[in-house]
Amino acid sequence: METIEIRLENLTKVFQAKNKEETLAVSDLDITIPAGKLIGLLGPSGCGKSTTLYMISGLLKPTSGKIFFGDSDVTSVPPEDRGIGLVFQNYALYPHMTVRQNIIFPLENIKMEKKEAERRVQYYADLVGIGHLLNRKPVQLSGGQQQRVAIARALVKEPRVLLLDEPLSNLDARLRLQTREEIKRIQRETGITTIFVTHDQEEAMSISDEIILMKEGVQQQKGAPQDVYDSPGNMFVAKFLGSPPINIFDGEIKDGKIMIGNANVGRVEKKKNQPVVVGIRPEGFKLSERSSFQVKVEFVETIGRDTTLIIQNPKASKDQANDIENEDMNRANTFRAIVDADEKIKPGDSIKLNVKPHKTFLFNPETGELV
Amino acid sequence: MSEILYDNEAKIRRKQMITKGILYSLLTAFAIFIVIPFYWMILTSLKDAEEVFSAPPSLWLRPSEWEIQNYWLIIRGEVPYGRFMLNTVVVSAISTVGTVLTTILAAFAFARLNFRGRDAFFMVLIATMMIPGEMFVITNFLTVSWFGWVAEQTYFDAILAMTLPFMTSIFYIFFLRQTFKTIPNELYYAAKVDGTSDFMYLWKIMVPIAKPTIITITILNAMGTWNAFIWPQLVTQFNESNRLVSNGLRGAAYVDEAGRVLYNEQMAAAFVVTLPLLIVFLLLKKYIMRGVSRSGIKG
Amino acid sequence: MLEEKHHFKAWLYLSPALALLLVFTFYPIFNAFYLAFLYNFDYMQRTAEGMTFTTEGINLFHNFRRTLQDDLFIRALINTLIIVFVSVPVSVIISLLLSVWLNSIKRFQGFFQTIFFLPYVTNAIAIGMAFAVIFHREYGLINMILTSVFGMEEGLNWLGRVSVDESTPAIRAWFQRYLNLPMLSLMVFITWSGLAFKIMVFLSGLQSIDKQYYDAARVDATPKSRVFRRITIPLLSPMIAYITITSFIGAFKEYTAIVGMFGIDLGPHGDANRLITIVGLVYKSLNEMDSVGAMSRAASAAIILFMMTLVLTLFNMYVSKKRVHY
Repeated sequence: METIEIRLENLTKVFQAKNKEETLAVSDLDITIPAGKLIGLLGPSGCGKSTTLYMISGLLKPTSGKIFFGDSDVTSVPPEDRGIGLVFQNYALYPHMTVRQNIIFPLENIKMEKKEAERRVQYYADLVGIGHLLNRKPVQLSGGQQQRVAIARALVKEPRVLLLDEPLSNLDARLRLQTREEIKRIQRETGITTIFVTHDQEEAMSISDEIILMKEGVQQQKGAPQDVYDSPGNMFVAKFLGSPPINIFDGEIKDGKIMIGNANVGRVEKKKNQPVVVGIRPEGFKLSERSSFQVKVEFVETIGRDTTLIIQNPKASKDQANDIENEDMNRANTFRAIVDADEKIKPGDSIKLNVKPHKTFLFNPETGELV
Repeated sequence: MSEILYDNEAKIRRKQMITKGILYSLLTAFAIFIVIPFYWMILTSLKDAEEVFSAPPSLWLRPSEWEIQNYWLIIRGEVPYGRFMLNTVVVSAISTVGTVLTTILAAFAFARLNFRGRDAFFMVLIATMMIPGEMFVITNFLTVSWFGWVAEQTYFDAILAMTLPFMTSIFYIFFLRQTFKTIPNELYYAAKVDGTSDFMYLWKIMVPIAKPTIITITILNAMGTWNAFIWPQLVTQFNESNRLVSNGLRGAAYVDEAGRVLYNEQMAAAFVVTLPLLIVFLLLKKYIMRGVSRSGIKG
Repeated sequence: MLEEKHHFKAWLYLSPALALLLVFTFYPIFNAFYLAFLYNFDYMQRTAEGMTFTTEGINLFHNFRRTLQDDLFIRALINTLIIVFVSVPVSVIISLLLSVWLNSIKRFQGFFQTIFFLPYVTNAIAIGMAFAVIFHREYGLINMILTSVFGMEEGLNWLGRVSVDESTPAIRAWFQRYLNLPMLSLMVFITWSGLAFKIMVFLSGLQSIDKQYYDAARVDATPKSRVFRRITIPLLSPMIAYITITSFIGAFKEYTAIVGMFGIDLGPHGDANRLITIVGLVYKSLNEMDSVGAMSRAASAAIILFMMTLVLTLFNMYVSKKRVHY
């Protein structure tokens, strides 16, 4: 199977509603997706990630910009000629056909010789682990099995690109873990350039070679998951990645020191005095007697090897205009710190915390950009 | 996979344009086929005595050539259309109110109340829908004759004979039951907790929620009466003044001295019968279409 | 509570509908069979000479036999079957195509939908009369088109009396007798009036098909005709089955349309009962009520009709069970 890179140049999509109202769904996207990699397109709902995927598939036509598969410009190529495999969020398995008929369907379209087609169906069905279910109808399958059938159907014509739209969102939690490993394995084995869309940061981080984080149609950051996590480009990225999410405090830079209220939580070089938003990862705290950052523990949750302390926030950050949804923790009256389970801490204890510099990020309170 | 050259966007677009053109032409052709009878009816009804007997027929008339008088002849003519229309309105109002009431009560029992034999009985009703109406007509005719509503028929007899057999409909019961079933149980429980009686719940909650379906039933039933032909023809055979519009329309002879059929007057009469339906349709299109497409989806 | 049984109350709610159904639906079904087995039932005197199966020397199916022996029965049967097996497939296919086309356009969809729906609400008598004018030999639109556009010298006598030339070959005579011009005109009218309902049902069926199937097929480069055969038709099959069954039943009962176009005589002027159907036969018997046994013959004709629709419906259901995807 030939692998190709995908390049998006100034890709823009504007939706026009019936009342002529325009919505900018994707704005000026410039992305190169390396050949043979598994890429996660990540962002909150409505960020334009699915729109981007559908433009790559050809089902949606870009308002402006270009899409390249390898060297060829496919912007105006209809989806059927792009050589893509697409797995829909609801799988879109034809309910009246058996699994075998579903998978062989794309091959019949290109009038592939029957024997070869049958062989391929068996091969890909085995690859995704549903080789024994070929005579069932989709309704007789579990969600995870349907998902695999959909992947097999997308792969069977050996496309140059595999696109997956929220592939795991219809599965229950346990199946999700299992299936995402499976997707990773299938992608490795086939070596096909794969793009998948998800709103679940953990899902994206766990299997992608690279993630692309989007917000309101604009690319925020792109890179290997750990790199993006370790050095977020702005507050949105920092907040979106990580579970439990990053803790956000209103603070300031004062004479090269990072201050949260009266507590000094670190130092910065060559920065003028200014108010900042301080983001500290939950794992970025250390218990230390020498710290001036003294706080009171409200709850203690011990899960396995980690203990999560829920701590009264001495200075919770005020509402941020560009706060992301569902992340109330950021603004709550408490924050979280993950410490070793060996530490014996009870609710009500007063503790002193040190902050790890590489887990601390400073943002401009107005723009959310990295300081 | 082979590289395909994609410089032919214009070609693809041209092909799409041609497909679209063919599509719209076909649809337009069929639309004309659908509209022609209406057009021909109106056109013929406006022709004067000379025009209507000219061959080949003219395809359109200038407003100045319209012979509106045909309509006057119909309204004032020998056939009492006014009376037939009044009969039809009375019959359709009574049978529709009756149908809606019996349907609401029965649909409620089937949708909400729990009683022995409910599902079996419902299946029997559904099966009955398959039996052709002609099986009923014979006996029903004997029945209403036996009730004394056919021979020496009074106006009241005629109304009874034309409404009572149609005051309930298995299809509408089925249709409304399906709508009632979509109303969540929680509403019923909540009403019960508040001490609402079943009857109050039906009138204050279910009926308002199911109003669109009930409106659909009302319209379809009323239109059904307007178009009824066979049964009124049978039961009013001894007193033709009690007929409905369809019978009047078919029964009347529009003939001139030479024995030629006066198609202009005939079509004027036909249009007088058709016009109310068209008005109702255009005003209440939404409800009628709903009913039809629903009935299909439920199978 | 819902779990509670409400026998008394339930039957109370059902009683108005039930009383009417008992008198005007259930009783007539049984009575139709009773009538069909009465011997020499005289409607005017309300007397009968007993049942066919208790009367000596009388065949059990005496009334059925008389119905079947009626010269008109064969004609009614063939006419009915022609209407059923020609008009139903034709109108189902046309409406299927129209609804697929209609579903694939955006602009003017509502407009076309409204127009295609018009026949549903019309009065069959009024429109039937309009069709009769359209098919008129001298003043009709059809013959005008045939002569002026297609250059025929003379228009066809669409609605005129049919003369069967017995000297012609049997097949030709058969066509003259049954598949003649009046029948063709009638079928145009029947098809016209049947389209609306079918289109609406198909269209709402098409609109309820998940668009993703079409996207998926598109990505897989499925040719249009294959999408239609392999995706649209199977997913629409419940509606197709429903429409086919109801249309067959409806076509078996065709009567009012014939009255609308040809009048109460069910045929061209001077050629009464040329287009008679089985239902027409039922009403004809019913109108001869002063003749002894007429009611029984009407009942037996109705039962024959019922049996035929039943057989066809069961066959349809059997086929759909195998072919329809639910």
